[in-house]
Amino acid sequence: MTIPVQRGRHNRRKKRTVRRRLPMRYLLPSLLLVALLAMLMLRGYVHSEILADHRIQAPAPTTQVPADVLDGGPVIDARKAGEPAKTLRIPDHKIVLTFDDGPDPVWTPRVLDELKKHDAHGVFFVTGTMASRYPGLVKRMVDEGHEIGLHTFNHPDLSFQSTSRIDWELSQNQLVLAGAAGIRTSLFRPPYSSFSDAMDNKSWPVTQYIGSRGYLTVVNNTDSEDWKRPGVRAILERATPKGGKGAIILMHDSGGDRSQTVAALGRFLPQMQEEGYEFTHLTAALGAPSAHTPVTGFALWKGKAFVFAVDISERITGVLVVGLAVIGALVLVRFGLMLLLSFLHARKVRRKDFSWGEPFTRPVTVLVPAYNERECIEATVRSLVASDYPIEVIVIDDGSTDGTADLVDAMWIPNVRVVRQQNAGKPAALNNGIANARYDIVVMMDGDTVFEPSTVRELVQPFADPRVGAVAGNAKVGNRDSLIGAWQHIEYVMGFNLDRRMYDLLGCMPTIPGAVGAFRREALDRIGGMSEDTLAEDTDVTMGLHRDGWRVVYAEDARAWTEAPESVQQLWSQRYRWSYGTMQAIWKHRRAVIERGPSGRFGRVGLPFVSLFMVVAPLLAPLIDVFLLYGLVFGPTGKTVAAWFGVLMVQAVCAAYAFRLDRERMTHLISLPLQQILYRQLMYVVLLQSWITALTGGRLRWQKLRRTGVVEAPGGTPNRRKDAEKDRRPVA
Amino acid sequence: MTYPNQPRHDGHDGTRPPQGGTRPPHDGTWMPESGALPGRGSAYPEQDGTYAGRTGAPPAQDGPSLVREDAAAGRGGPYPAYAGTLPGQTRTAPDTAAGTAAGTTAPPAAPEAPVPPARPGRDRYLDLLRAVALVRVVFFHLFGWAWLTVLFPSMGVMFALAGSLMARSLARPAGGVIRGRLRRLLPPMWAFSLLVVPVMFALSWKPVREEGLWWFVKIGCYLFPIGSPPYPEESGSTGGWLELTWADQAVGPLWYIRAYLWFVLASPLLLRAFRRLPWVTLLAPIGLTAVIGTGLVTVDGMLGDGLVDFAVFGSCWILGFAHNDGLLKEIPRYLAVSSAAIVMGFGLWWASGHLTEEGWNLDEIPLAQATWSLGFCAILLIYAPSWQKLPGKLAGWDGLITLANNRAVTIYLWHNLLLMAAAQLVDELWTIPWFGDAFGSYIEKSYDALVLIAIWPLIGLAILAFGWVEDTAAKRRPRLWPNGADRRGKRA
Repeated sequence: MTIPVQRGRHNRRKKRTVRRRLPMRYLLPSLLLVALLAMLMLRGYVHSEILADHRIQAPAPTTQVPADVLDGGPVIDARKAGEPAKTLRIPDHKIVLTFDDGPDPVWTPRVLDELKKHDAHGVFFVTGTMASRYPGLVKRMVDEGHEIGLHTFNHPDLSFQSTSRIDWELSQNQLVLAGAAGIRTSLFRPPYSSFSDAMDNKSWPVTQYIGSRGYLTVVNNTDSEDWKRPGVRAILERATPKGGKGAIILMHDSGGDRSQTVAALGRFLPQMQEEGYEFTHLTAALGAPSAHTPVTGFALWKGKAFVFAVDISERITGVLVVGLAVIGALVLVRFGLMLLLSFLHARKVRRKDFSWGEPFTRPVTVLVPAYNERECIEATVRSLVASDYPIEVIVIDDGSTDGTADLVDAMWIPNVRVVRQQNAGKPAALNNGIANARYDIVVMMDGDTVFEPSTVRELVQPFADPRVGAVAGNAKVGNRDSLIGAWQHIEYVMGFNLDRRMYDLLGCMPTIPGAVGAFRREALDRIGGMSEDTLAEDTDVTMGLHRDGWRVVYAEDARAWTEAPESVQQLWSQRYRWSYGTMQAIWKHRRAVIERGPSGRFGRVGLPFVSLFMVVAPLLAPLIDVFLLYGLVFGPTGKTVAAWFGVLMVQAVCAAYAFRLDRERMTHLISLPLQQILYRQLMYVVLLQSWITALTGGRLRWQKLRRTGVVEAPGGTPNRRKDAEKDRRPVA
Repeated sequence: MTYPNQPRHDGHDGTRPPQGGTRPPHDGTWMPESGALPGRGSAYPEQDGTYAGRTGAPPAQDGPSLVREDAAAGRGGPYPAYAGTLPGQTRTAPDTAAGTAAGTTAPPAAPEAPVPPARPGRDRYLDLLRAVALVRVVFFHLFGWAWLTVLFPSMGVMFALAGSLMARSLARPAGGVIRGRLRRLLPPMWAFSLLVVPVMFALSWKPVREEGLWWFVKIGCYLFPIGSPPYPEESGSTGGWLELTWADQAVGPLWYIRAYLWFVLASPLLLRAFRRLPWVTLLAPIGLTAVIGTGLVTVDGMLGDGLVDFAVFGSCWILGFAHNDGLLKEIPRYLAVSSAAIVMGFGLWWASGHLTEEGWNLDEIPLAQATWSLGFCAILLIYAPSWQKLPGKLAGWDGLITLANNRAVTIYLWHNLLLMAAAQLVDELWTIPWFGDAFGSYIEKSYDALVLIAIWPLIGLAILAFGWVEDTAAKRRPRLWPNGADRRGKRA
């Protein structure tokens, strides 16, 4: 391992070189996330989940309301400051139908159809939230000659609100009207209002204030109370004005099932028209100029932009909800499958009479590729020497600059050979080692990994079965006492005891971990050894073996102890290589999908399976967190938290089972909740970054960068090369 | 070589002995009370020894350990392979990057760069926390944003820091330590009382007849704040220079002094209990809060208020003990941090179910305050880096942070009164001819911001006017503006 002093110095240098690259890797994912959240916020905004206020004022005294208003008509004109408010009445034989709370995607069109059929007009008092979601209906209302009035943006009881909130409710509502139909209106109806004589000391000041802003406040004469769904007959009875008088009738085209309203209209309109009534909109009934004024210029575009953004957010959240359902199902299916298959696998390999064949006793070669591993290499080699199995050890020194090779030489251990080479990368080192190996089974490990005495024996037993081409061991995190170490420990234990057992039984193990794995040399030779095509040569070679028809299995008792990255930065670059390398490997072996024989079987079963769970599912995983945030802030907070804990429990159960299979102490599971809110997010940001790299043709750039790394390595930045070396892949 | 079938034994990898026993003995020269360190700021009673190197750095390594503590602690695993390699790691040559070691056969560990012995400087990390806590308190009392109490539980942090220092001082005889603490706490408070109490009387504050002598005993709390001192509910006048609730606002913060005094007096006992039964003692105040802070049992009056505060922040204070004794570094970090997070989660959950009119103001929800503060402070202390110098951009704040620490009592005592004065000053803007008329609406809109601007010069004035009392109380040469500039100057 690096010595701390050096690490400090190195980091400083690294920061300088990385700074140029850094913004992109943080910027794109975070921009995406911010955009997503903004969309969700907008959705919450127009679905009245933000700023919603459902309080309703209790009745109050009426001492401050002028008697003229209490006894007056349903249209209150308080626009002129200093003058007492006037009220206006609808002339006889005229009816102004008013519809509140819309537009509604289902019922408003039917109401409009009904009005059109009978050549009637009315006034729609729309809320900003609904209008912004269904701007087309607002446009249709205006086009068909109806009048639009404001009914606030969010439908709060305005007597609870400050004047600035009232201003905001009105201006947002106008903004939506401008965006939807290109108009402003001067009509207003307060939410929860009824008749003029229902004005009281709480609502009257609001009415005065709104009048001072230039609006006519429109209440009603007859309330159909259609929202109670009392039946068509009752609606008609309540709506009908007495004795040929003019009236403003209150109805609703939104807020639930309005079939009764539509049916009532179908009877009411012809019936009243026969009685000589005319259905007109408000200003026509009063003989006043239209309440609409066209909006132009910047205000128009602002409105259009808002309506457009709402439209986009509606669509996106629709897609997101589907995505959330998909990911939820995927996660649960995966956990279920893992539990089932790992149970079956454990039962199978732990049966007393289970064996791979005759006990495997032939000596094997252990390859230790090492690059600047002087701190660890001695412990590594000693742990191999302590092995209870006949082995030959080959340390391949990949051009180390810290005397790693000399250190091993100086140990003077028979059966331990050192092969030196110019720095050429891990795949080349492994190929070099394979060429030097004496035996036909090669075990591969990392220079900083420690084996138990029985590891090699356990690892090679499956080769008794001649169909087995490679065996994955069980890598364990040694430094598990730090938080980041504990998280990786949980991840490794789950990865090895659930994922890998599942892949074993499904016959599609995607990766032999670089830290502990064994290969049949014949199999390696057939697929051309390790390749440098991808950043994850272990995944690449494992897929190659599958395509060649070999079985790849998991040996649970072949434990290797390894040190997990301790800093976020190291972890980041390690995982970035893994996820990007996996993508490269999947892409490289894509042709397997259409091939015949074992390759085709792997291509059509294993490859899609691996892609789904390793590449697609993690991409959708952020949705869980996005909706968690959304739910916490706007949604049903309690339910959201409960759902989150539900998912956490499922994970805890799976993790506990994995720990039990591996006979690990459960204490580390205490860091699972924090892992869910800190670590997982890091992982999928890394994956997102890999996707971005892949989609923007980063492949070429990476290779170039990689070459520079090789060139630089002997003199300058050993750590970067070193990171690349440590390409262990313990987690599926 | 053992393989980790039995993963961890005690959280140590063998290279770092448990810290409790082997810490270097506390020498008296580190205690500013002895006057050995004139000019080194340590005015705030609990600051006498916020020295880096004492905050749990591994004793085996002298100098470098201060900065490397983190790396070493993070490494300590159950992992046998490292037990052998760790010492090598810390000792090997720092310049392998330059390739000097290439080709040589097993180079011996390069001689360690000569490291000066740890200079007993202040732990700037703790200083920073205290300064942030103070600023947060001022912000909270100005804006009243409830979420500030969640964002940074200032009082818990202050008590945790104080508890840590108290535990350190208690290596010496308890009587002397307590006397020293009182001597440095009370005079600044007397200075404050000397100004405030006469004004209250001048504004016609009368003894409460029903309480008789008891009332005069309570007044004594201005001299020795074993309880919260009384004050008139209403004093001054609306619209006057002193608003009606000024006494409440000015004297309100004194609860902290009372709670601090309680903790100081209880510390010898608490520390003994803590060293015998660490976890029980640490969590007992939380249990007490759950009983008397949730309405399960209510204790009325002065005693009740005191008890609740004692229970709410008791765990933070004892957490300070744990930090000082190195207990926090002994348990695996993942365990400590995860448990702290769970405790904090409980606090949030409890708060969400017991919101008051002020919303998420934890000051109003004792159990939430106790748990959230405990978890928060635990995480702050677990990751305590023990800076001797403020790193990076923070270094620019060095002077102000030093000043805030040296005058913490002064700032805390006076800030509420000064906030009122600042508001008065801003009100005066309206009376400026022309300006008041022309910008009246702007003044109104940016009122809080203007007060925020005005408060800092006023605090500066208060430091100039009253700060020296802190030095005198500590038997030091009084200084006007102890921002450490003289010290830095000397060093350079």
